[in-house]
Amino acid sequence: MADHLEANLRALASVDPERAAAIAAAEPLTATCRPAANGVPTLAADGVLLHSLHDPMREAQRWALEACERLAAVGDAGATAVVFGFGLGWHLEALLEHWRGSLTVVEPDDRLLRTVLATRDFRVLLGRIVLAPLPLDERAVDRWQAPVLLCHGPSLLRDAGGLRELHARAAGHLALRGVRLRVLVVSPVAGGSHPITAYCARALTELGHDVRTLDLAPFASGMDAIDGFSPRARAREVVRTAYGRFLGAGILAAAEAYEPDLVLVMAQAPVDGAVVERLRALGALTALWFVEDHRLFGYWREAVGAYDHVFVIQEEPFLGEARRLAIGQVDYLPLAADPTVHRPLDLSPAERATFGAPVSFVGAGYRNRRLALRALLDCGLRIWGSEWDGCGPLAGAIQRQGARVSTEDCVRIFNATTVNVNLHSSTWVDGVDPAGDFVNPRTFELAAVGAFQLVDARRLLPPLFVAGEEVVTFEDVRALRDLVRAWLARSADDRAAVGAAARRRVLAEHTYRHRMARLLVLLAAGAGERWRPRPRGPTVGEVARLESDSPLGRLLAGLPPHTPFTLPGVVAALQQRTGDLDEAESILLFLHHFDQLYVREARA
Amino acid sequence: MRKVLIVNLTRFGDLLQTSPTIAGLHAQGDTHVTVVVERNFADVCEGIPGIDRVWPLDLDALGRLLLAEDLRAAYHAVSREIAALRAERFDLALNFSSSRMSAVLLRLIGVPDTRGWSMSDDGHRLITHPWSRLFSASCLTRRHAAFNLVDHYRRVAGVRDGPLRLRFTVQPAMRRRLGERLAEAGLGEGDPLVALQLGASRAIRRWPPRHLIAVGRRLAAAGLRLVLCGGAGDRPAADEIATALGSAVIDLCGRTTVAELAAVLERSDVLVTGDTGPMHLAVAVGTPVVALFFGPALPVDTGPYAADQLCLHAPVPCAPCDHAVRCGNPFCHDVLDPEAVGEAVLARRAGDWAGLEALARRWRQIAWYRTVFDAEGLFDLVALGGEVMPERARLRRAYRALWKAEFDGTPAGAVPGPPLRADAAALAALAGIAARAAEQARRVERLTTSGAPLEVLEHEARLLEDLDAAIQRHGAIHEAAAQLVELHRFEKENLVGDDVPTLARATRLELETLERRAHTLAALLLHHPSAGLPATAAREGTGSHAGFA
Repeated sequence: MADHLEANLRALASVDPERAAAIAAAEPLTATCRPAANGVPTLAADGVLLHSLHDPMREAQRWALEACERLAAVGDAGATAVVFGFGLGWHLEALLEHWRGSLTVVEPDDRLLRTVLATRDFRVLLGRIVLAPLPLDERAVDRWQAPVLLCHGPSLLRDAGGLRELHARAAGHLALRGVRLRVLVVSPVAGGSHPITAYCARALTELGHDVRTLDLAPFASGMDAIDGFSPRARAREVVRTAYGRFLGAGILAAAEAYEPDLVLVMAQAPVDGAVVERLRALGALTALWFVEDHRLFGYWREAVGAYDHVFVIQEEPFLGEARRLAIGQVDYLPLAADPTVHRPLDLSPAERATFGAPVSFVGAGYRNRRLALRALLDCGLRIWGSEWDGCGPLAGAIQRQGARVSTEDCVRIFNATTVNVNLHSSTWVDGVDPAGDFVNPRTFELAAVGAFQLVDARRLLPPLFVAGEEVVTFEDVRALRDLVRAWLARSADDRAAVGAAARRRVLAEHTYRHRMARLLVLLAAGAGERWRPRPRGPTVGEVARLESDSPLGRLLAGLPPHTPFTLPGVVAALQQRTGDLDEAESILLFLHHFDQLYVREARA
Repeated sequence: MRKVLIVNLTRFGDLLQTSPTIAGLHAQGDTHVTVVVERNFADVCEGIPGIDRVWPLDLDALGRLLLAEDLRAAYHAVSREIAALRAERFDLALNFSSSRMSAVLLRLIGVPDTRGWSMSDDGHRLITHPWSRLFSASCLTRRHAAFNLVDHYRRVAGVRDGPLRLRFTVQPAMRRRLGERLAEAGLGEGDPLVALQLGASRAIRRWPPRHLIAVGRRLAAAGLRLVLCGGAGDRPAADEIATALGSAVIDLCGRTTVAELAAVLERSDVLVTGDTGPMHLAVAVGTPVVALFFGPALPVDTGPYAADQLCLHAPVPCAPCDHAVRCGNPFCHDVLDPEAVGEAVLARRAGDWAGLEALARRWRQIAWYRTVFDAEGLFDLVALGGEVMPERARLRRAYRALWKAEFDGTPAGAVPGPPLRADAAALAALAGIAARAAEQARRVERLTTSGAPLEVLEHEARLLEDLDAAIQRHGAIHEAAAQLVELHRFEKENLVGDDVPTLARATRLELETLERRAHTLAALLLHHPSAGLPATAAREGTGSHAGFA
C-alpha cells in the first residue's frame, strides 16, 4: 500500500506539487479498505460506503454512462466534466473510458485522498485529470469550458456543504469570467470601517474592475457639528437623520452619474433602505459589508431586508438569523489586511525610538482594555490611540496624549514593537470576552506586518490562523501577562518566526484582494437575473500584450497592468510619470485634451 | 514648391478668416496649402480660394469611439492621421487653433517650422511666434486688443501682401437655384433685399427677436424685403419674426447649406448680424454688413475684415464680457436701439457715410465704427461721430503703435486722445520692477558662469522669482499694464532648454524687453510719440530685442 502512495504522489507532484505535498502531509482516515465481492477494493469512510460492496466497477460504468449523457447534452466538444468526489476512483476511470474531454475532480478532503492514494495505482488516472482543491482556485475555473457538474453520490453524503460550495463557486466564477465590473464603493463618514473602504477599492481595482470610491470623510465635520444645534438628544437625532438623507441623495447622484454594476457599501455608511431601493432601481447590484458586531449595531436587520447581498464577519447563530430575515443573500466574509499598507518596514533608529516599545497596544480605550492592560504596566507598555481619558493608572503609558494615530504610524508601531498586544474591544466584559467570535482587522494587520502578536482567543480565529504557530492567543488577563513576560524573554528569532508565518498566511489567504474576489464570486452566484454587468473592456496589461510590438504596447508595458484601458485610467497612470513624452504618450495626451474639449460634456 | 499646413479646428467664421492668409501665402510664390479642419466644416473650405487640399478630421467619429470607451481604436485613428500628415513633409505649419489639443497635434506632426501653439518635449505649451504670443496675450486682455484676428493670422504666416478682405467663391449653380427660390417668393432680380442673421453660437451673442422685428418693420416700411438666415436651432425666433413681419419676410432660416447661404448673402444688399460666421461670409462675398457687437464681441478683434463695413458696439462698462461669463442681465442687447440700427441699415445701403456720422452723433450711447485699413495694411476702425470711450481707445491705439514698432518695425507716430497720466505712472512703475528684475537676472547669469555654490545660486534665483511675481501682481492690479505682462509671461514660458547660463541670459533679455516696452507705452500715453522707438524689423521667433538701450 505504501508503495502505491509514494508512486501516486510522485505522479501527482509532476503536475501539481503543492497539492501532492498537502496530501502527503494530511493524516490518513481511520477508514477500512476491504475487497468487494468481485475482489476489487472498496472503501467506507466516516461510515459512508464510497462504492458498491458487490461490484464497484459495474456500478461505476452505470454512473459513467449517465454522466456521458449529460456531457453529450452540452453539444460540441469543449465541455469540461467537473466531478465532485474522488471516492476510490472507480467512477473516474469508468468515465475516462467514454469521455475524451477535460476532466476536473474536486475533492475537498485531503485526508481521504491520503488514504485512497495508498490503496491503488492511480498514476494513469492522475495523468488524465485535474485534481482541484476546494475552495476552487480561480485559475482552475478559468480553464473550464462549459462545465458540467457531476456528483459522485456517496461523496455528497460525506460533504453536502462541499458540493453546494462547488456549485456556488463555479457559478460565480463563470459569471465573472471576462467581466469588468464598474463598482462604486461607498465609505462611512468616519469610524473603524472607513480605512477598509480604500483597501477594498484598491483590491477591486487589482482584480481588474473599474472602481470609484465615494469618500464621505469630508462630511464628518458636518456630522460632528450637529451636536451644536441643540442640547436635546431627540432634536439632534432628527437633524442627524436629515443629514443622513442628504448624504443618501448625494450617493444616489453619484450612482446615477457613474452607472455602476455594483454598489458596495461599507458598514456605517449613511445608506438607508430607501436609498438601497433607489440604487437597485438604477440597475445596480447592492452589497453591504457589515464589518461590525451585530450585537452592538442592530441596523443589520433593516440592511438584510434591503440589499442584494450582505456580508458579515460573524457566523452562527447570527448568520442563520440574518438569512432568515434577508431578501437576498447573507454570507460570512472575515476581515483581512492590505499588504501594500501593512508591511514590514526597515525603520531607522530614530523611528524605533519613537514608535518602539517592549509591549504596545494600539486602539481605542474601551472598558475591557482599560482593565486588562493594567496587568502589563510593569512590562514596558505603551498605549496608542484615542478615547483613553480618565484611564487612571494607565495614563503614564498613553502616547501623544491619546491623539488619533495615523495608519502610517500604526504600521511603524507594529514594526518597532517586541510584543504587540491585540485585545478585541468589549463594553461589557472586564478583560477577554469569553464569547468573542469575529476577528478584528488588527489581527490581520499585525500579521501582514510580520509582527509578533498576542491576541485574545476568538471562536472564529481558527481556521484563519493557527494559534501557537502564526499568532499566540490568551484566554484571560492572567494568561496575557504570563505570555507577554514569556515571549519578551524568548529570542527575537522565535518571535520573528511566528510573525513570518502569520505574514505568509495573510499573503496566501487573507488579503482584501482575496476577500473581494470571494465577495464577487458569491455575489455573482447569488444574484440570479439581477447579474447583468456591462461587457468588460480591456485592461492596460491586456492591451499591452496585444500591442506588444507597437509604441503603444511598449508604453503600456510600463504602466500598472490592472489599470482599466480607459482614457481616465491611462491618463491617471501617465500623470505619475516625468520626463519627455514619447509618441504614444503624446497621442494619449491629444485624446485627453480632445475628450476635455468635446466629449466630456456629451458623456455627462 | 513650399508645402504649408494650416490647422484650424475651430469654427466656420474662423476658417473664413484664414482666407486672406491663404491668398497671401500664394502671393509669396509657389506654395501648396493644406488645411486641416473639423470634418463638418470641410464644405466651407470648398469656397475658400487657394486651398489646395482639405484635410478633414472626423472628430465626431473620434468622439464616438471615446464615448464607446474604445480607446484602442481612437488611439490608432489618431496615430494613422498623424502618420499620414507627417508623411506630407510640410515646410511650414501654422496652428490657428489656440487649444492644448491642437498644440499636441502640432508637436506630433513635427514640422520643423511650426508657428502658433505647440508643445515642448516634456509636455509644456510653447507658442512659437511673437504675433501668436501677442494674440494669446490679447485674448486675456481683450479691452485693449489692438489687432484683428485676421491680421494676427497674416503676420504669423509672414504675409504682408494679398487681398485686404475675406474671400469666398459663390457657385453659379447656387446663384441660379437661389434666384428660383426668391422668384417663387415674389422677389425679382434687382429688387432690394436685406438679410437678417438670427442666430449665434450662444444666447449672449444673439440679439433678441423683438429687436430684429423692430428693425424689420422699419426696413419693410422703406419698401425692403427681408430674408431670414440662421440655423435649425433658430426656428422659434424665425417663426416669431416671420409672424410679426408677414409678407415682407422670406424665411430661409435653417434651410440653406453654407454654399447656398453664401449665394443668399451675395444677393442681399446688406446683412444685419451679430458677430457670427455669416457676418464673415457676407464680407467674403462682398456684401456690406451692419454688424452689432455686444456681450463678448468686439469690433477690433473679430470685426468684419474688409473696408467700409459698419460696426455698432454697445460700449457698456463691462464690455467685452469674458467668454466664460454667464450673464444674468444682458442689458448690452438693449443699448443697441433698434431704431438706430434700422436707420443705420438704410444709410449703409445707400452708402451714405455722412448720414451715418449724423446718426452716430444722434445715438451717442452706441459706438459707431467704419472699418478701414491703415498705411501698413492692418485692419482698423474709425469712430463715427467721435470716440465714445476716448481713454480706452487711446490705450488701445498706444498698444497698437507699440506692437507695430516692436514686431513690424513701424515707427510709432503720435497717438490721439487725452493723456493718461495714471496709466503712464503704472507703466513707469512696471518698467522699474522689470529693471530690478533684469539686474537680478544679470546677477544670476553671472553666477551660473562663475561656478558659484548651488545654494547661493538658488537663493539669487528665488529673489528673481519674487521680482517676477511682483511683475505678475502689477499686471493684475493695473489694467493698462496687463497686456505687456501677459505677453512677457508667454515669452518667458517659451524659454526652453537645459543650459542654465543660456536660460539665465534669455530671461534677462526678456526682462529688459519688458522694461523698454513699458517705458515706450508710458511715453505714448503722455503725448511723447516715437521717443526712442526703434524702426527695426521684427525678429520673429525670439520676440526680444537685445540690442535696444
